[in-house]
Amino acid sequence: MAVSVRAIREALADIVGREHGVREGAALGPYAVDGVVPSAVVRPGSPDEVSRIVALCAAEGLAVAPRGAGTSMGLGNPPRRLDVVLELSRLRAMREYVPEDMVATVEAGATLDALAAHFAPHHQRLTLDPPGGGVRSVGGVLATHASGPLRFRYGTGRDLLLGARFVQADGTLTWGGAKVVKSVTGYDVPKLLVGSLGTLGVLVEVTLRLQPVPPASRSWRVGFPSRAAAGAFLAALLASHLEPDRAALLDAAALRRAALATDPIALLLSIGSAAAAVEHQGQALARLAAGHGGRSDEVPDTVWAGLGAALDGPILLRAVGEPRRLLDWVGEAQAAAARAGVQPALLAQPGHGVLQVALGEGPDDPARLASRLVLPLRRALEAEGGSLVVERAPIELKSHCDAWGDMSPDLLAIMARIKTEFDPGGVLNPGRFVGGL
Amino acid sequence: MPLSPQLLRALEDIVGPAGLVVSAEGRLTYECDMHTFYKGAPDAVALPESAEQVAALVRLCRRERVPVVPRGSGTGLIGGAMAPAGGVMVSMTRMNRIVELDFPNRCATVQPGLINLWLSEATRGRGYFFAPDPSSQMVSSIGGNASTNAGGPHCLKYGITVNHILGLEVVTGAGELVRLGGKTHERPGYDLTGVMVGAEGTLALVTGVIVRLTHVPEGVKTILASFPTIEDASETVSAIIRAGIIPAALEMLDEVVIRAIEEGVGAGYPKGAGAVLLIELDGPTAEIEAQSAPIEAICRDHLALEIRVAQSEAERALLWKGRKEAAGVFGRLTPNWLLQDAVVPRSKLPQIMKEVLAIAARHRLVIANVFHAGDGNLHPLICYDDRVPGELERAKRANEELLGACLRLGGSVTGEHGVGLDKSASLPMQFADADLNFMARLRRAFDPDSIMNPGKLLPSHPACGEGFRPAARPLPTGTWI
Repeated sequence: MAVSVRAIREALADIVGREHGVREGAALGPYAVDGVVPSAVVRPGSPDEVSRIVALCAAEGLAVAPRGAGTSMGLGNPPRRLDVVLELSRLRAMREYVPEDMVATVEAGATLDALAAHFAPHHQRLTLDPPGGGVRSVGGVLATHASGPLRFRYGTGRDLLLGARFVQADGTLTWGGAKVVKSVTGYDVPKLLVGSLGTLGVLVEVTLRLQPVPPASRSWRVGFPSRAAAGAFLAALLASHLEPDRAALLDAAALRRAALATDPIALLLSIGSAAAAVEHQGQALARLAAGHGGRSDEVPDTVWAGLGAALDGPILLRAVGEPRRLLDWVGEAQAAAARAGVQPALLAQPGHGVLQVALGEGPDDPARLASRLVLPLRRALEAEGGSLVVERAPIELKSHCDAWGDMSPDLLAIMARIKTEFDPGGVLNPGRFVGGL
Repeated sequence: MPLSPQLLRALEDIVGPAGLVVSAEGRLTYECDMHTFYKGAPDAVALPESAEQVAALVRLCRRERVPVVPRGSGTGLIGGAMAPAGGVMVSMTRMNRIVELDFPNRCATVQPGLINLWLSEATRGRGYFFAPDPSSQMVSSIGGNASTNAGGPHCLKYGITVNHILGLEVVTGAGELVRLGGKTHERPGYDLTGVMVGAEGTLALVTGVIVRLTHVPEGVKTILASFPTIEDASETVSAIIRAGIIPAALEMLDEVVIRAIEEGVGAGYPKGAGAVLLIELDGPTAEIEAQSAPIEAICRDHLALEIRVAQSEAERALLWKGRKEAAGVFGRLTPNWLLQDAVVPRSKLPQIMKEVLAIAARHRLVIANVFHAGDGNLHPLICYDDRVPGELERAKRANEELLGACLRLGGSVTGEHGVGLDKSASLPMQFADADLNFMARLRRAFDPDSIMNPGKLLPSHPACGEGFRPAARPLPTGTWI
């Protein structure tokens, strides 16, 4: 630090008010990122305060880690430096919501649950539902590109974020995108921010596309005796005229954790539409399942909120491959876990080739877990154009494997140019993103 | 500035003599896109056959500090695929193949010059199609669609082009040939694919595209509803969206447009109505049936004169033919026109249409309207005759007032056509200096020497702001909006 910790804390307190942050000693511990404890935590109450804080940190050469609800701070590599945690939970105002437009502009610290409560009376919803993510901030969900079962119909934050106000690394408050559902004016800056882990800017306000809540919705659990049967069913489902809005695939361990009846493998599907259409599609779904040796049972719509339990635990991996290979990767992940001597729970996004692997216990032997599970699975995925991201892990495991995996040097060179252009001093989350950006 | 003989030889070494156009008459073909006001012929046109050739072209041009201007089918409406500062135009028309259809992954890999509709034709037999459907889709290229992030009537339900691009192969302004994204649906790092779509060739040239294929819906129902006035039709649009129904498409055509279409292609639209809505529902048959009843009720509540459901595929195709070829028949209405592509929040549709009528009356001009009403994406077509003194000036004033009105309501300068040369000077109406500066710096990260499609998309370049030069001839028929 260029100046004393005390002076920085005083300057931060001047911006946000003494009661909003600036913790001492032990109180800072919970804000550590991969074991690196910040010197200060600050909770700004407005985009302007965020701007002033970041400008101050940039001027003083301090490293800033933005934080939403704090549920996903484990994503990424350990920070190269960390001085100030910027907690955005006070930025939770609804800035603009015209239900007739099906667009809302909200502050980035608002939680998904809080937003859902705003939109529900108007029969609308934000279709971002990362498992267990109700308590997460919308800014954090976007910055980490988190997604859930509703992706099956509505896509991810990439498809739903229309506009964004963000604070650049020098403190400049900047806007990108538009507040209407369709716009191609200038570069699509919001796309650059989704999944960028706050390394190019701190999201402070986001404009999102909403969807109508369907008049009727029902959910089914379709169990299969084998991966092969489930894979054949999934291929048939994707090629059929059925149009589920939510889809998830779970192995036996994930089913158990989510308190669902177990099978070697099962899909959860929901269909949302007019009541008659839901009924009609539900019947077609049952027929299709039976034709592939599966059994479909209706389950309450509340099952979706319980999926987060499937991913609990200290270690979470995110394997992404070609969509058609999903069930193969389920098998590969199970086999690799067995070789490493760990019991995984698997939750996947059918149709998108995304497989999350949760381990309930920390590694007794992190080196072995890395060499038998994480690294071989990653190599296999990367060989086919896929990836494996360590979404959450103890620092002991991270010391044996990069959080993001290999990035081709030509792509990394472009990303590094972008990072250097916007944050040459490494103010925002230095070291945590791909390639140590 | 003409290119040196050495540079021309080097270009020819890359693409071969058959792949290089240098004659004055040959280059004239490339002097403008469908926005024929803006003219600027390139000094040479290269027609590469591979990504490697494109990379070699860009590296050569970078070394020589010569502008590089990409061109697909040249159907853009923004002065994009033209060369205001000369330089080398890279036309993708010889790179027009489908490389791979991958149905299990529901995606296709194509070359940038592939015609949009060809992909749907090649996949429909297997039950798939490429969802982005700009009205130009029978001639526009997928690389051009990606570069401009093209829309179309059905993006109301299916999303615009960027929602359907999984990966790109590009040559950046720095001369790097790189693959962004791919068949997998997410990957670590910045979303360079998302940034590249809609960048109008100012960051990179697109040499390959991996697109999502969409399953053909079980059923489709096309409804034509006519109304006494455009206000009634606008209120209907807002009421349908308010009811929580997102049709596949929701298009509006006003009286002037209906008349021109009926005289031109004869799509069977009711003459004499103040406006018609073309409403299409698609998806599971039971869902369509459940949605069409409330839509018809909403239309009746808003004084619909007639509600007609297409009874056959032929009838449906005819209704769409009228819409998709609307712009092509404007030659019947007016010798010249200006076209807006601004967007308003969809609840503001009735309000902005009142403004459109008021602006037309104030400037004693005809403003025709055919547009994507469900998205709030207007296409007011300001008719004028450049032989009548003062009419062009009035049209330009009306154009500016209209854009200002849209932005005051919280809208956007362009919904789907893009910025190009045409709208670059309007960006400061929507973005602050800091926002534009961010974009300019982003551009620099890809194009360090400012050779990529200079003068387009951002307002700062000296080539911007020059007044357009009205063409002697009206816009060609076969223009799509």
